[in-house]
Amino acid sequence: MSKILLIDDDQDLIEMNKSVLTQRGHEVQVAFSAAEATEVAKAGPIDLAIVDVMMEDKTVGFELARRLHEMSPEMPMIMLTGIRKEMQLGYTFEPDETWLPVSKFLEKPVNPRVLADEAEALLTRKSQTAKG
Amino acid sequence: METLNILIVDDEYGMRRGAERALRDVTLSLPDVNGDVRFEIRTAATGKELEEMLESGHTDILLLDHKLPDMTGLDILDSLGKRSLDLLTIMITAYASLDTAVTATRRGAYDFLAKPFTPEELRGAVRKAARHLILQRQARRLADEKRQVRFQFTSVLAHEMKAPIAAIEGYLQMIRERSAGENLENYDRMLDRCLIRIEGMRKLISDLLDLTAIESGQRQRNIVSVNVAEAARQSVENMKAEAERRGIRIDLRVPADLVLEGDRTEIEMIFNNLVSNAVKYNRDNGKVTVTADVSGDDVRIQVDDTGIGMTQEECQRLFNDFTRIRNEKTRHILGSGLGLSTLKKLVTLYRGSISVESQPDAGSTFTVTLHDCLNTSPGKREV
Repeated sequence: MSKILLIDDDQDLIEMNKSVLTQRGHEVQVAFSAAEATEVAKAGPIDLAIVDVMMEDKTVGFELARRLHEMSPEMPMIMLTGIRKEMQLGYTFEPDETWLPVSKFLEKPVNPRVLADEAEALLTRKSQTAKG
Repeated sequence: METLNILIVDDEYGMRRGAERALRDVTLSLPDVNGDVRFEIRTAATGKELEEMLESGHTDILLLDHKLPDMTGLDILDSLGKRSLDLLTIMITAYASLDTAVTATRRGAYDFLAKPFTPEELRGAVRKAARHLILQRQARRLADEKRQVRFQFTSVLAHEMKAPIAAIEGYLQMIRERSAGENLENYDRMLDRCLIRIEGMRKLISDLLDLTAIESGQRQRNIVSVNVAEAARQSVENMKAEAERRGIRIDLRVPADLVLEGDRTEIEMIFNNLVSNAVKYNRDNGKVTVTADVSGDDVRIQVDDTGIGMTQEECQRLFNDFTRIRNEKTRHILGSGLGLSTLKKLVTLYRGSISVESQPDAGSTFTVTLHDCLNTSPGKREV
């Protein structure tokens, strides 16, 4: 069982992803904003975070990912983005470790089952790296 | 003060100097153009020099002699046309003929000036070209800005539409994959949420149509005498079911004989927007007070609620398109983010204003003032 932090401003996306992850035996904590997410991360160690890019602000997810990474550099993160094509934000969205500490980008909409699979794959890789 | 760069190209030294003198130290004020215009002058004697000057600095207006030692003005026009430079050319020639003028214009010259010309004729031609150039650039800038605003609006709209689609899609995938087991009742909430999100999209589309119809001025306005109390009562009626469900009391304090001159649908939209927000963003068992009265020449509509309220910063951005105050308290409330920006545009049709005062966790007061909409002269309009 892992502790997963789910960050999204959409009530329904939180609800559906939480339900699938919980069924698979994970402990899920939720945050609806960057501020809430920071509070949760401060309160105790998290194994993996799932971060939505566009919440109260267009790019708040990017800033949040950096902050979370500073707080726990070993924690893998999945970033959900729905703005790849429509917005020119001056960011590259490719997984590039040099600019954003994100392990995986997934373009919305993401099937909750696929998201859970991706999360578990990252958690497995993390535990193997730790053992290795 | 705007400065335009003029390049004079003529093989005759006297012509170059004369033209330069006629334009140097001249300040023009042009019709429809804000601020005066002055000129920076450079000169060239041959086609080759012209090419070098075009490379080395910006040119707005080109005074181009047709007959140069190394090429003709028409050749140069052809070459300029291929490079789509942002400049206007005035052709100058001693061999003025209708044919050359027509050919030059066809090849992209803006105007034609026949030698000999007086300094005043030259200034007249330059003045005309300068005005054309500046207005053309202003129009292009405006069109660019418009495209930018449209892009921003469409981008946010796309995001607002994609969010509910993503939610519905996710739930449908879970239902198809039976991710909550075989008991069908486990899926009731997912189906309810899908229906709620579809309703939200429907509301967004209708709000969007209202907003664009008002903004474009396409909506046919029908100005009649509107009984304000009736319009307010109708809005209260629309929200009654939700208010009762949440124990919210709505008080209506509008004089029964208050009548204004306006478009009935617009007045109803104003009340609908204000009352539905006051209920949606209220706390359970809260209160909404709808007041309308006459203040001088204005009709003042005020809606108070005892709801979640807003911070100063939230109040400031409230009337922009797609602004929704997103926080812990508003998470469960669906809205298109277009209601108040529509309201603001409606109010401007009555040369009125809208303002809000709010305290977090205490409530908000929205005040709409509609100007000059009272039928003060008896017999002006039939009631």
